[in-house]
Amino acid sequence: MDKEERRKEEERRREEERREKGERRKKGDKRDKEQRRKESQRRTKISRRNKEKNTEKNSLINEIEILKRNFEDTTKKLIKDIVRQDKIMLRSDQRQRKDYDELQLKLEEIKLLSKEIEDTQVEVIFTMGAIGESRSKETGFHVKRVAEYSKLFALYYGLPLKEAEMLKQASPMHDIGKVAIPDMILNKPGRFTDEERVIMDTHAQIGYDMLRHSNRILLKTASTVAYEHHEKYNGKGYPQGLKGEEIHIYGRITALADVFDALGSDRVYKKAWEDERIFKLFREERGEHFDPKLIDIFFENLDEFLTIRSTFKDMLD
Amino acid sequence: MKNLSIEQTKYTPQIDLDASKGEMNFFGKSYPENTFEFYEPVLSWIDKYFRKHAKEETIISLEIIYFNSSSSKLFFDFFDLLEENNDEHKITINWIYDEENESALEAGEDFQDDFENLTFNLKEK
Repeated sequence: MDKEERRKEEERRREEERREKGERRKKGDKRDKEQRRKESQRRTKISRRNKEKNTEKNSLINEIEILKRNFEDTTKKLIKDIVRQDKIMLRSDQRQRKDYDELQLKLEEIKLLSKEIEDTQVEVIFTMGAIGESRSKETGFHVKRVAEYSKLFALYYGLPLKEAEMLKQASPMHDIGKVAIPDMILNKPGRFTDEERVIMDTHAQIGYDMLRHSNRILLKTASTVAYEHHEKYNGKGYPQGLKGEEIHIYGRITALADVFDALGSDRVYKKAWEDERIFKLFREERGEHFDPKLIDIFFENLDEFLTIRSTFKDMLD
Repeated sequence: MKNLSIEQTKYTPQIDLDASKGEMNFFGKSYPENTFEFYEPVLSWIDKYFRKHAKEETIISLEIIYFNSSSSKLFFDFFDLLEENNDEHKITINWIYDEENESALEAGEDFQDDFENLTFNLKEK
């Protein structure tokens, strides 16, 4: 019995152990499952987190890539702009240099042309004056001397240098109207008849008519000189009979310069006067034929006038 | 679309922008006191024209006798604008110059080189 009982007891114990073991195994399984589940969950979480991390990383890259593209675009544009700007500057500089060179060249040309025009004007006027004189058998030196005297009078009278210079250039034209006077009157030795005198005196009006249409200041000056160089300060001159300062200063100056030179030169109808005789006449005609101020200037600066006379002496003398 | 006409002055060109004909004409000198201010309405007109009102063919004539460097910049912007629209629209540019105006010819040649995609003709007057 004891033996039997002990065997049964032993079996029961084993059975119990087995059951316990089994239960324990079951329980263990459960725990394992739970653990695995948890593990898997954890893994999923991590992987999700990793995935999220990845997508986060991707969007940042995207942003950077967009920035990069923008930067590249902007840089490209900037470089293009700078290159273009440089090109514009370079071209502009080249063009400017070229234009400026051209401009200077043209300016030089214009200066030369302008000088040429002025010189031509002076020459034409001088030649025309000389024609007038040559017809009356006077020399070109008369014209030259009258021109120089006129300038000197103008300067001492107080006219600006430019105007004095212009008067010098215009005064040779004072007798241009003589081209229209017949030779037989112009070159007549001896006194004119009244009729001849009338014709002779028209040369002032004719000279004026010849020149007055011009708009050139030089020719306008010449027309005034031609018109008024036979007017007298006391109003007894011709063609208009102007008096005192009604006569333009150009007319008053040329009148005195012309007479001074004419009296001191030989003419077809007379010999040259002695200086003293000329000076006497001037003193008498101060305020009559001539502007008193100009007579004063003449005597005050006599040396200079005589220097001009000897410098431009007639070759025939 | 309303046409845009700007009278010529001593410093600015005559500009006639005609949407109905598809013509844009520039004539004269260009050295405005404020170049960008002067050309702003011109460029915005052209931009609007190409966005909504462009004709099948657009002909642009430029006879610019003289221009300063800021105008040059403006012309670049202008040709850029044309180049942007060149794929969708037929655009012809005629750069007109006087035989004696070497600078104008050279400027035209430069623009021609810079904008190879544009139909850019040099025409002696």
